Amino acid sequence: MSLEPDTSGLLEHLFRHQSGRVVAHLARVLGPSRLDLAEESMQEAMLRALQVWPYQGVPENAAGWLFRVAHNAAIDAIRRGKFLEQNMGVLVAELTRSLIGTTANGSGDDPDFERQLRDDELRMIFMCCHPAIARDSRVALSLKTVGGFSVREIARAFLADDAAIAQRLVRAKRQIRERELTLDMPHGADLERRLDSALETIYFIFNEGYSTHEGQDLIRKDLCFEALRLGRLLAGSSIATPRVQALVAVMALQAARLPARIDEAGDLILLEDQDRTRWDQGLIAMGFHYFDVSMSGDQVSEYHAQAAIAATHARAESLTTVDWPLILELYDQLLAVSGASPVVALNRAVAVAKVHGPAEGLAAIAELSGNPQLRDYYLLLAVRGHLLLELERREEAAACLRAALECRCSEPERRFLRRKLAQCEISV
Amino acid sequence: MPQYMLALYDDPSRWPSLSPEEMQKSLERYMAWGKRPYVVTGKRLAGDSGRVLKGADGKPRATDGPYSETKEVLGGIYLIEAKDYDEAVERTLDHPHLAHGTIEVRQLYS
Repeated sequence: MSLEPDTSGLLEHLFRHQSGRVVAHLARVLGPSRLDLAEESMQEAMLRALQVWPYQGVPENAAGWLFRVAHNAAIDAIRRGKFLEQNMGVLVAELTRSLIGTTANGSGDDPDFERQLRDDELRMIFMCCHPAIARDSRVALSLKTVGGFSVREIARAFLADDAAIAQRLVRAKRQIRERELTLDMPHGADLERRLDSALETIYFIFNEGYSTHEGQDLIRKDLCFEALRLGRLLAGSSIATPRVQALVAVMALQAARLPARIDEAGDLILLEDQDRTRWDQGLIAMGFHYFDVSMSGDQVSEYHAQAAIAATHARAESLTTVDWPLILELYDQLLAVSGASPVVALNRAVAVAKVHGPAEGLAAIAELSGNPQLRDYYLLLAVRGHLLLELERREEAAACLRAALECRCSEPERRFLRRKLAQCEISV
Repeated sequence: MPQYMLALYDDPSRWPSLSPEEMQKSLERYMAWGKRPYVVTGKRLAGDSGRVLKGADGKPRATDGPYSETKEVLGGIYLIEAKDYDEAVERTLDHPHLAHGTIEVRQLYS
């Protein structure tokens, strides 16, 4: 790795993001059944850049260059007859027309064209998140096609093997063909349903990136920021509703805590022990902005309640000024809108303990213990152990934490549990 | 100051397995190296195998360039300045290309 400053002048993640945009644009022109051709053409453009730019330098408009070269690659592939189509002439004409669109003003930052590209990307998100596609495949397809992640990167982020991810992509593309999914923007009642599916997929990607796993691979942080980018893309479009804004607010406010969540040794730091000065103020400001916008209208979604909770944490200057009674109230609201999600109920129990004391918190947890979804969930046992320790019931606490260690959890989480366990044993 | 030609060979078939992000990172490392003060210029060769002209017996004739037996092909060249071979080698040793390819260093006659 070079220690020299980055003087390449390339925007961060330019290739990844431009890949998503160009593929979306090409797929709209060529039709979703030729998604593979769109991807191959963009791949060829990036390879060309890799071969030429190191010697000749980065062209003035790097993004526009990639766009043009990918278009030409698609035109060449069609002309070579790789795809024997009756409408070859139409496709080539279409591609040529959109190519002229970019070169007309040379700079490629024509606002109309920019709008068109964003619209293409939006359509692609909706197609990738189509409810007809299984969720796992939806997630993989969105990351690959819109996010510009490779199969290997997705596999690493999800702790899956490459073949499994490749399989999900194959399935997704088959579903696109068989169900004849289009890149048309959904309308009316369908729009609501499709938007829900897109938001759910984006939030899933975010949470997957946010959950702590061994190594804290950079790729997981990238997942969070990709989800945030996709959310903002939806939020900036004409179809945005308050719950889209609320989802962006949740993601921004939670992502703000990423720098403070892990210490130098890679150990997990609980929210209450985090150094708040390390929270990202830019993301907090972004979160509050979207939160404010989400308040227009009278829609209260799950994301609104989540955003309100994250905002309450962000607003407090220190742990002692966290408004726990408000947080408890918000968890009650969240449970009311999201149904009885047991994980949300567990978080609520933590808020109960903060407001009414550890004994009440334990009682709230006791109600959850029978829930099959939380059986063998390390966090339930960890929270219980934590509260027992606060009540000085050390032996019970230790038993709980030992049981938690038996559950499936990541290595940083395991180390955290062992540290807690050591606290129980010190003064037994 | 004497000039040296660096001829960069590599195996292009390894590239398609890179992700967009990896491609960009790789590119950035090359670009950073290319901006060093002693780099005079760089040129990428076109992707074909070129032509070879021979005039050994009788009339000179052009043939298509040789298809290399090895997987490594000449991709591009740089000209750099250095006072001697030692310095030229020193200045090339940390070229990112060496993570996977070969570089031939030749002094230009002056």
